[in-house]
Amino acid sequence: MQLYRNLTIRQKQIVWAWAFLALPVVFYTVIRFYPTANAVLISFQDWNLLGDRTWAGLDNYAKLVADPVFWQVFRNTFAYLILGTPISLVISFIVAYHLDKTRFMHGFLRMLYFLPFMTSAVAMAWVWRWFYQPVPIGLFNNALASIGIPQINFLNSTTNALPAILAPAVWAGLGFQIIIFMAGLRAIPRSYYEAARIDGVSTWTVLWEITLPLLKPTIVFLVVFSSIGFLRIFDHVFNMTTNNPGGPLNSTKPLVLMIYQTAFNSFDMGYAAAQTVVLFLVLLGVSLLQLRILRDR
Amino acid sequence: MANLILRDLVKTFDRTEVLHGIDLEVADGEFVVFVGPSGCGKSTTLRLIAGLEEVTSGTIEIAGRVVNNLEPKDRDIAMVFQNYAIYPHMTVRKNIGFGLRSSKAPRAEKEKRIEEVATILGMSDLLSRKPSQLSGGQRQRVAIGRAMVRDPAVFLFDEPLSNLDAQLRTQMRLEIKKLHQRVGSTIVFVTHDQVEAMTMADRIVIMKDGYIQQVGTPAEVYHKPANTFVARFIGAPSMNMIPGAVNGGGTLALETGGTLAFDRPLPEGRKVTLGVRPEDLGPGHDNPVIEGKVTVREPLGHETLIYVGTASGEVIAKADGRTPPEVGETVRLGALTENMHVFDAETGEALA
Repeated sequence: MQLYRNLTIRQKQIVWAWAFLALPVVFYTVIRFYPTANAVLISFQDWNLLGDRTWAGLDNYAKLVADPVFWQVFRNTFAYLILGTPISLVISFIVAYHLDKTRFMHGFLRMLYFLPFMTSAVAMAWVWRWFYQPVPIGLFNNALASIGIPQINFLNSTTNALPAILAPAVWAGLGFQIIIFMAGLRAIPRSYYEAARIDGVSTWTVLWEITLPLLKPTIVFLVVFSSIGFLRIFDHVFNMTTNNPGGPLNSTKPLVLMIYQTAFNSFDMGYAAAQTVVLFLVLLGVSLLQLRILRDR
Repeated sequence: MANLILRDLVKTFDRTEVLHGIDLEVADGEFVVFVGPSGCGKSTTLRLIAGLEEVTSGTIEIAGRVVNNLEPKDRDIAMVFQNYAIYPHMTVRKNIGFGLRSSKAPRAEKEKRIEEVATILGMSDLLSRKPSQLSGGQRQRVAIGRAMVRDPAVFLFDEPLSNLDAQLRTQMRLEIKKLHQRVGSTIVFVTHDQVEAMTMADRIVIMKDGYIQQVGTPAEVYHKPANTFVARFIGAPSMNMIPGAVNGGGTLALETGGTLAFDRPLPEGRKVTLGVRPEDLGPGHDNPVIEGKVTVREPLGHETLIYVGTASGEVIAKADGRTPPEVGETVRLGALTENMHVFDAETGEALA
């Protein structure tokens, strides 16, 4: 106690700061950093969970590069990202932009848009899976059939399955993005728009030259967040293609699902860890790239 | 160049009427300041003139044209906002040029116009800066430049100086006044600061609760206030108000005792309020009005303000800067009859 009393105010602050930081530091070290480091280590080893770990060097990575399924999965993952992020951002911006101007039932409408975000992805995936079934079960095909349009093979086609799975994933994320966009729109002072009205510029100019540039911080945040989300897509795919996860013919399989199968179906932990490291590097690279491109100059 | 005429202007928000029939004529090239406490309707009036709010009833005429149903851009006005409304992501040049976006003039001409305005405002070397690199006064100037570049018939200013510190405010006040003398356009300026109104205006419009209280030159509203509200609102410290009643023979009896002779006709038997400005009221005067004990002294150097507790409450008076009365001393305060204002005690209207 005497020792503590002799400390300067600054030193006492440091002692307290570290006292409070100790728990999260321990937590992060044990739950995050140690497994991460271990995963990187395992990616250079062979391990089936039960036996000994044996050093494999770069074998796992070599296998990855030579694996046609990995490249297919890599393409799929980027397809989710490249389609999902812009589509969801454009839709959520359009909804937020108009919802912001709507007074009528504003709160109720906002709640409706936010509901999917609170719904379990598993439940949602199964409902959508039902939508996509052929006649006479599926909602979409029934609707098409009733107006005389031939059925569409949604989930059993190698070309349609990925967009069909992406749709509910986009829909699920809209609520969150709309709320964030609306907060961003509210933060723009009204006088900016009033000044533009007096200057007599078109609505289009106001949108492109005032609203969107001032929303840039919001957009950066949402681009990075939604990109990370789409790069890590798993539950929608897994639940909608549960008979043959990632199928048909791996056409919907994302990287996370491949990692899951390699680790817990094939018990090839070294190979799964190598895939995880690749995913980590991709996430890191994409996020840094986006921040760099979208950052204020 | 244009005049501005408001006729019986009424504005209602939901069911609350906030402006109750404003009538005003602003001459071409005149600098008119709307002043009043917050919520008096001065900003609403300005926004109606700008076209940012819709008129409930009455007409607004700019340059002989009723503009009630015209979009802001078609009214030939420009507005400077309280928070400047300059865009943080655009350079000064783009911000000033934004006012010309809808104009069909050739590019070179627009550029020339921007340069001209920048020269007038003394910010030619700041054109490529972003607003974040400017000081408060410079941002204010960009906002003014953006309005000037449109060369409008009427300039509207919505409390443009209230975000500046005191020193800068005084400086910008002067700059805007000089600018007006140079450009000569009609200006409507809204402020809650009576000093701003007094120093800048050709004419002042004093508003309260959606009514115009008085319209007049700074000298008129100061020396001939129409009612007690104007009398107390204009001038600092505020005018002293002492209750009394008019006796026969044109004399005025104060509640605290003492009778004042007036050479002006006063309505006999009426309860009145006597108004005297602190600078007109002082100790050792030939025409004593009221007496009391000095409670506080505020030395200002060239003079000293003394707060005197009287039977009618506290009054403020001016005393000599070198030898003011001591705190606790009893003083008799007097004033010249011509510097006294008499108001009806009930309606507050000026009687003489």
